[in-house]
Amino acid sequence: MEAAREIYWNVGHGVILPMYFFAAGAAAVCLYGFARRIRVYGLGGPLDRSSNPFLRLRLAAAWAFAQVKVLRAAFPGIFHAAFFWFFLLLFAGTLLIVAQVDFTLPLFGFSFLKGAFYKGYSLTLDLAGLGAIAALLVFFARRFIARPEGLETSWDDYLVHGLLLLILITGFWIEGARMAATEMKGDVALARFSPVGMAAAGFLASWQEGALLSSHKVLWWSHLLLALGLIALIPFTRLRHLFLVPANYFFASLEPKGALKTLNLSDENAQSFGAGKVKDLTWKDIFDSDACVSCKRCQDECPAYATGKPLSPMQVVHKLKDCAFSGPETDIVAAVTDAALWACTTCGACQETCPAGVEHVGKIIEMRRNMTLMKGEFAGAEGRSAASSLEVNKNPFGLPYAERADWAAGLDVRILAEHAEADIIYFAGCYASFDRRNRIVAQKFIEICNHSGIRVGILGKEEKCCGEPVRKLGNEYLYQELAAENIRALNGYKVSRIVTACPHCRHTLGLHYRDLGLNAEVVHHSVFVNDLLKSGRLKTRAERFDFTYHDSCYLSRYSGTVEEPREVLKAAGGVLAEMRKNKTESFCCGGGGGRVLLEEKEGRKICAERIKMAQATGMPLVVSNCPFCLTMLEDGIKTSNCEEKLQARDLAEIVAERLA
Amino acid sequence: MKILVCVKQVPDMASKFKPNAANVWFDETDLAFRMNEYDEYAVEEAIRLKEQLDSGSADLVVLSIGPSRVVEAVKKALAMGCDRGVHIRDDESYLKDPWQIASLVAAYAKGEHFDIVFTGMQSLDRGSAQVGPTLAEALGYSCVTTVIGFSLEGGVITAKRELEGGAKGVIRLKLPAVITCQLGLNTPRYPTLPNIMKARKKEIAVFEVAELGVENPRTVTERFFAPVKKGCGLVLEGEAAALAGKVVEILKQSTIVLRGQP
Repeated sequence: MEAAREIYWNVGHGVILPMYFFAAGAAAVCLYGFARRIRVYGLGGPLDRSSNPFLRLRLAAAWAFAQVKVLRAAFPGIFHAAFFWFFLLLFAGTLLIVAQVDFTLPLFGFSFLKGAFYKGYSLTLDLAGLGAIAALLVFFARRFIARPEGLETSWDDYLVHGLLLLILITGFWIEGARMAATEMKGDVALARFSPVGMAAAGFLASWQEGALLSSHKVLWWSHLLLALGLIALIPFTRLRHLFLVPANYFFASLEPKGALKTLNLSDENAQSFGAGKVKDLTWKDIFDSDACVSCKRCQDECPAYATGKPLSPMQVVHKLKDCAFSGPETDIVAAVTDAALWACTTCGACQETCPAGVEHVGKIIEMRRNMTLMKGEFAGAEGRSAASSLEVNKNPFGLPYAERADWAAGLDVRILAEHAEADIIYFAGCYASFDRRNRIVAQKFIEICNHSGIRVGILGKEEKCCGEPVRKLGNEYLYQELAAENIRALNGYKVSRIVTACPHCRHTLGLHYRDLGLNAEVVHHSVFVNDLLKSGRLKTRAERFDFTYHDSCYLSRYSGTVEEPREVLKAAGGVLAEMRKNKTESFCCGGGGGRVLLEEKEGRKICAERIKMAQATGMPLVVSNCPFCLTMLEDGIKTSNCEEKLQARDLAEIVAERLA
Repeated sequence: MKILVCVKQVPDMASKFKPNAANVWFDETDLAFRMNEYDEYAVEEAIRLKEQLDSGSADLVVLSIGPSRVVEAVKKALAMGCDRGVHIRDDESYLKDPWQIASLVAAYAKGEHFDIVFTGMQSLDRGSAQVGPTLAEALGYSCVTTVIGFSLEGGVITAKRELEGGAKGVIRLKLPAVITCQLGLNTPRYPTLPNIMKARKKEIAVFEVAELGVENPRTVTERFFAPVKKGCGLVLEGEAAALAGKVVEILKQSTIVLRGQP
C-alpha cells in the first residue's frame, strides 16, 4: 500500500459540513472586525500610496516572507522569523489537505498526499510544528519571564501566546492518538516520517483503544475550534499584524527618505494646518498606529528616550491609536503632550528600525506644525527668539545679516552678486557663516577647492538660513519664506551645482526645495571631495591618524551617504574604529529637528551619550561632517570633561591639512 | 470702543551702525528692520483688551509713520490681531523730532475719537520716550507711562507702572487715555498662520505726511556718532594666588581704591 493517511480518520466525513460552517463563521467575524477598523482608518484624510502597485507588491512580499525588517534586530528577530516560517509551513500543509479532500479528490478523483511526497510532507510538518513550539517557548520566556524593560504585556498577549501553544500541542496530540491507533500497530516505517507524532503516540501507547479514539475526537474538534477561534480573533488582538504589517509594507512611502508635505500656505479655504485632531491625520497615520506591534524597537533606538526625555516613539503611536479609536475630534497634541513632541530630534532611528513600517517622524512634524502654525507655540523662549531672529536677520543667532559673508574675507571666493561666474555655489549655511568653530570648516573647504582649481561662488548676504530647523519645529510659514528668498537668489545665477558642508542644508535644498522651484544639483562636501579625489583633480597625501567617525543622521540615514566620507578619510591616512551605532543606524548628536536651537533641559545630554560611544573606541579623534554634529560633539566633549582625550573635527579640516 | 496702537519700525540693535551722509542719523544700508520691542507689548495689550471686550464692539487700529518699509511692521500687528492699519508715509520721518511725530499722530487721531491709545514707552533707536506723553497732551487725554500691568473695568483703567529704583506704582485713570508700555507687561503672541492669511485682506489706509500737516520741530539733531571708546575689559588668566597679586597691582596703579593703604 502507498504511504498516506486517512484524512478525517475517526471523525468521519460528516464533519466537513459543520467544519466549513464554523470556518465561515470565523472568517465572517474576522472580516467584521477588520471592517470596523477600516472605518476608523477612514477618519484620516487622503494620501496616495497606490502608485507603482507591482513594485509595492514585490517589496511587501519580500519584506514579509523574508522577514527582512524583523531580522534587523537579530534577537528576538530570528525567533519571530523562525516561528513565522514554521507556522507558514503548517498553514500551507493544512491548505494542501483542504485542496485534496475538498477539491481534487471529489472533483477529479485525484489525490497527491501519498507516496514519497506524503512522507516528505509529513516529516516537514512535524518538524515545523516542533520548531514553532520551540520558538514559542522562547517568546514565553522573553515576554513572561525575562520581561525586557519597556515591553508592554496585556491580556491580548496571554491569549494569543496561549492559543498558539494550545493549537500546536493539540495538533501533536491528535496526530499521536491517530498514530497510536493506526500506524504504530501496522506501518511503523511510515510512522518514522512523523517523529514528533511518533513520540506523542509512544506517550499514549498505554491508552485503551476506546480512550484513544474518543480523546482524538474531542481534541480534533478542540483543535479545529481553537484554530478557527484564532482566525476570528485576528482583528481584535495583536494578531492583526499578520495582515496589517504586510499591508503597511505595501503602503510604504516610495519617496526619498525624509520627504515632507509642502503645505499650501496660500489656500484660503484651509481651516487648519498640521495635525491637531484625529481628522487632521491621514488614513496612513491611523493605519500605522494600528499596525504597530509594540515591539518597542523604536523606543530602544530613540536618542531622546535613551537620555530620559518624555518621548517614546512607540507611545506616540499608541496614543494616536487610542485617539483614533475615540473619535475624529480627539485632541492628539494634548494626548501625545507637547513635551514629547518637542523632544524629537527627527533623527529617524525609530522609523529605520520599525519592523512594521510605521512612519513616526512625519506625524511628529505634523503635530508640531499644528502647535506652531495654529497656536503660535514654541519649544521654550530660545525657540521663540530664534524664530524672531530668522525673521529679521535670516539666521537663528540674531547676528546682522550683512555680516554673513565675513567668514570669507580675504579668501579666494566670489560673491556672486559681484561676480556671477563660478564652478560651484558653496551654500555655507548659518553655522559656517556665523559660528566661530564652523567658520574654520568653511574656510578649510575653500582651501580644498582652491587647491583643486574649483572656482567657488557664494551668495554672501543674499544667502538666508535654509529654514530646516524651524521647519522641523513646525514653522512651515517661516521656512517657505526663507526658502523662497534662497531659491530666488540661487536661480538668479547660472551655476547648476551647489555644494554645502551641512547635511541639513543639503537635504533641504536638494530635496525639499524641489517642491518650491529649485532644481540644481545639491552635493554634500564629503561627496564632493570624494569625487575630486577620484577624478584626480584633488591630490592629498596620506598621513596616518586614528579616528572614529560619527554619521550625521541626515547624511547617512536620510541620504544614504555612508561610504564616501569614510573613503575620503581613509585616503587621507585615517585608521577607522567604528562606534557602536554607526552608518544608517547612527545615534543622533541631539541637534536634529531644530533641537540645535533649543536648550536640552530634560534628562541627560544626548551629545554626552554619543561621546561615551566615541570614547569606547579608544580613538583620540571623532570626525563628523555636519555643523550641528560638530557643535554638539564638542559640547559633549566639554560636558564629559574629556578634552584631553578626545577631539572633534570636520572632514574638511583633515583633508585640508593633507593637500598634496 | 476704538483703540489705537502706535508702532515704530526700528533697526535690529545687533547691527553695525554708521552715520549717514548728513551725519544726523544712521545710514540704513545693510540694516535689518523689526517692530520696536516696546511697541510689540503695546500691540499685544491692545489685542488683549479687544479680546476682553465684545468681539464686535472694538475697533483696533495700528498706525506707523515712515517710508514704505514700515508697512511690514503694520502687517505684523495686523497678523497678531489688529483690525486695520494706517500708514503715514514719510521718507524723512527719521529727521522728525518727538513733537512732530506726536503732532502727526494727533492730526490723524483727532477726528477718530479713540478711547484708548497704546504705544511703546520709547523707541529702541531714538529713545526719547516723549511721543506717548506728547500725544496725550495734544489730544487732551490722560496718560500713564512705563506700564507693566494693565486692566480696564467699568471705564476705569488700573495701571501698574515702573518707577525709579525698582519701586512700582498703581495708577487709576479715566478714558480716554494714552498708555506707554514697558518690558514685563506681557509676552507678545506669535501670529498664527490663519491670522497671517486673514491679515492679508485687512485694509491699510495710507496718508501722505503733507496731508496731515507737519509742525515745526522743537529740537534738532546736531550730530550722530558712536560713543568714544573710554576703556576696555581685561581678562587675567592663571593661578588664583598669582592673579590676586596682579589685581592688587592694577588697583594700586590705575585706581584710587587702595590709596593710603600700606
